[in-house]
Amino acid sequence: MTTTINPYAERVDHGPVRFLHRLNPLATIAAPMPAIVLLILARDVATPVSLFTLALVLLLVGAHLRPRMLLLVLVVLPLLAALLSLSFGLWADASKLPQSTVLLQVGDYRFTTAAWMLGLATSTRLTAIVALSLLAGLTSTGPDLVRAMVQQLRVPYRIGYTALAAFRFVPRFGHELEVIRAAHRVRGMAGGRGPIAGVRRYLGYVVPLLAGAIRHAERVALAMDSRAFGAHARRTERYVVPFRLRDGVFILLFWAATAAAFLLIPTLELP
Amino acid sequence: MTTAPIPHPLRVDSVRIRHEDAVAFTPDGVSFSVSPGEVLLVLGPSGSGKSTLALALNGLIPHAIPAELGGTIYVAGVDTRDTTVARVSETVGMVFQDPDSQIVTGTLLDEVAFGPENLLVPKVEVLERAERALRRVGLWDRRGENPDVLSGGGRQRLAIACALALGSPVIVLDEPTANLDPVGIEEVYAALADLVADGEHAIVLVEHNLDAALDLVDRVLVIDAEGRLVLDGPARETLTNNVDRLVELGVWLPVSTLAALRLRASGIPVEPLPLTPTELTAALDRVELPPPPHPQAGLDRLDPVITVTDLHVSRGRSDVLRGVSLEIARGDFLAIVGENGAGKTTLLQAIAGVVRPPRGAVTVDGLDPARADVRALSRAIGFVFQNPEHQFIRDTVAEELAHGLEIQHLPRHEIEERVERMLHRFGLTAHRAQHPFLLSGGQKRRLSVGTALIAGAPVLALDEPTFGQDRERAAELLDMLAQLNADGTTVIVVTHDMQLVADYSSHVAVLRDGQLLATDTTAAVLAGDLLEQAGLRHPPLARAMRALHDERWRGIAKLADLP
Repeated sequence: MTTTINPYAERVDHGPVRFLHRLNPLATIAAPMPAIVLLILARDVATPVSLFTLALVLLLVGAHLRPRMLLLVLVVLPLLAALLSLSFGLWADASKLPQSTVLLQVGDYRFTTAAWMLGLATSTRLTAIVALSLLAGLTSTGPDLVRAMVQQLRVPYRIGYTALAAFRFVPRFGHELEVIRAAHRVRGMAGGRGPIAGVRRYLGYVVPLLAGAIRHAERVALAMDSRAFGAHARRTERYVVPFRLRDGVFILLFWAATAAAFLLIPTLELP
Repeated sequence: MTTAPIPHPLRVDSVRIRHEDAVAFTPDGVSFSVSPGEVLLVLGPSGSGKSTLALALNGLIPHAIPAELGGTIYVAGVDTRDTTVARVSETVGMVFQDPDSQIVTGTLLDEVAFGPENLLVPKVEVLERAERALRRVGLWDRRGENPDVLSGGGRQRLAIACALALGSPVIVLDEPTANLDPVGIEEVYAALADLVADGEHAIVLVEHNLDAALDLVDRVLVIDAEGRLVLDGPARETLTNNVDRLVELGVWLPVSTLAALRLRASGIPVEPLPLTPTELTAALDRVELPPPPHPQAGLDRLDPVITVTDLHVSRGRSDVLRGVSLEIARGDFLAIVGENGAGKTTLLQAIAGVVRPPRGAVTVDGLDPARADVRALSRAIGFVFQNPEHQFIRDTVAEELAHGLEIQHLPRHEIEERVERMLHRFGLTAHRAQHPFLLSGGQKRRLSVGTALIAGAPVLALDEPTFGQDRERAAELLDMLAQLNADGTTVIVVTHDMQLVADYSSHVAVLRDGQLLATDTTAAVLAGDLLEQAGLRHPPLARAMRALHDERWRGIAKLADLP
């Protein structure tokens, strides 16, 4: 048995409690969408924190998380929020902040509660958006999303399945880039440090990578043509990704919770 | 009188094809038809348009590839111009050369179902077809796996299953084993033999590897360098009765046939002319063989140019190389062989400093690649990557060659002089101002060898130099390497072409699972069963000779050693 993550693996059912896996991928994308958009406008700390908590609870209950992902949502994301709050706070324009307690003073520079709160508002917004995106990201597969887009959103299957085939390119290009870098290094292209040399170096990788990519894409296209891709306006769907009542209910409940978070938590300041 | 004849599933009528940017038509005026159950082999020298013809048989030309198609191809009685590739694919399925670029989905089952789904076959029947096709090639038990985890041979069998699932009575295979190791080639031909056995599928095969293909072929078509059909007939008779003509046309004959011709020329009657190793063995066992000529004595290996001592390389959590030690003498032509994943490329890369080996494990011409900088390293060893495009870094051929000297800070006039010599030596003088990416495949390969050698490295390392190339181009490169080797350059190649090993290398290093089974002279390795131990196979000539009654001849593995 291989232990590598297979992005195409068939959807696994993790039981009725891990309900997120049973939802249509479109539902897990549509539900948090308004929250994600509104969060971009939020300026306080409480709203993002409450939405982050909502996403966290849904993930912990409704998703089957591997230990690594568990670590990500429970430890890495909060830590990242804390860390970013400090660095964003450092960047805050002190002259526009209200007077508040000085937390730290280095020479002329004062790090105040107000600056930290501003940093916290930004960092929690970012982490909340990440957590909300993970609702779909950790519970649905690429192929299912494509199938749902074709089946419910009427995206032409030619586009959907071509995109799916393109998923396969990613690891291939990763490997190819590695080889090209090694090749350029032994040819003595590594010369020079600093950002400009770095950019030049990467530009040098682009041509061979693109040449390889175009050739590969052409071959894949011929192989797909040879297997009757695009023969008819529809194709047989062996996997149906249904949009059920529960998908609608999930979306509406999530939207209601979003509205509550934004309307009932009073600190929302529009820019 | 009134019964209509069953239409041929595939009929080609005076077909000539010219690619958008080409001047000449190749193929040019080819006609033939394929009967149900027939196995047809298309032969021809490089540039004769065999692969182009294959692409036209399922309508990719003219529908998907810009090329001018003259004449007509009828698939199940319909002109391919008047229909679509999708419709044609129900009659003519395709298997291409590169196993990687034929996969579009995430599991074996989805992959095989992909074609029938596109044809709107009902779900139940899709699954039936998929099961039948996967069972046919022995992959049903692995249906849930990602095709990426299959070996090259496994992926080609999957491609065959995909063609079967479309229900096509004709399957066209364009050099299906060119990218495979010996075991993979065996797998693919076993799958095809099983398919041919029931006589339901006709097969059109474009293949250079005649040694593997001939056992199943009924009929041979030969196209000449101008793209004209010159021979069409039953496989055995056509090949054996036209041997001289085929050699003249530049068509590759099976190694067993070439060996027999050589023996005949030296007065040993080999009758009838053999096409396979088994036939060669049988023919030679029937005659009284003279004592074999003494193979050339090996050179003394007194002057090691490369020493590898207890080399370990790990990637992530897995050990790619485990305690490899070997010595390579100046002037050797060493082939590193092993199954896919045995660590061949890693060993070569560690020797050449492409991946940094641990300090002290490798010495190349007195230099430790782990400590050396690019300047010093490129004077000691040149490395040629599998795909020459990967290592091109400049905008013209001349600059590309000059680069290796510029980093040595040589005076301008000396650089120009050496570049000029190199351009001449590799036949690239006319292309000096061209962008390296615009060269032909063979020219790119020559340029990459030139750049590897220009700084004066006494050692040249090549990673699978013949991978995916047709045999003619491969032979051109190998002859060049042999010449360099004769002039004193130590050559190291990673390869899984065993006949290449037999014909060109002086020594062989056999790897299995990251460990070195042995390093020895090629003759010694081919005489023993190390190759089988490493999951490889003996090349055709060695196979024929090892089975002989006459023990004295069993050690012969290369054509040049025959009388």
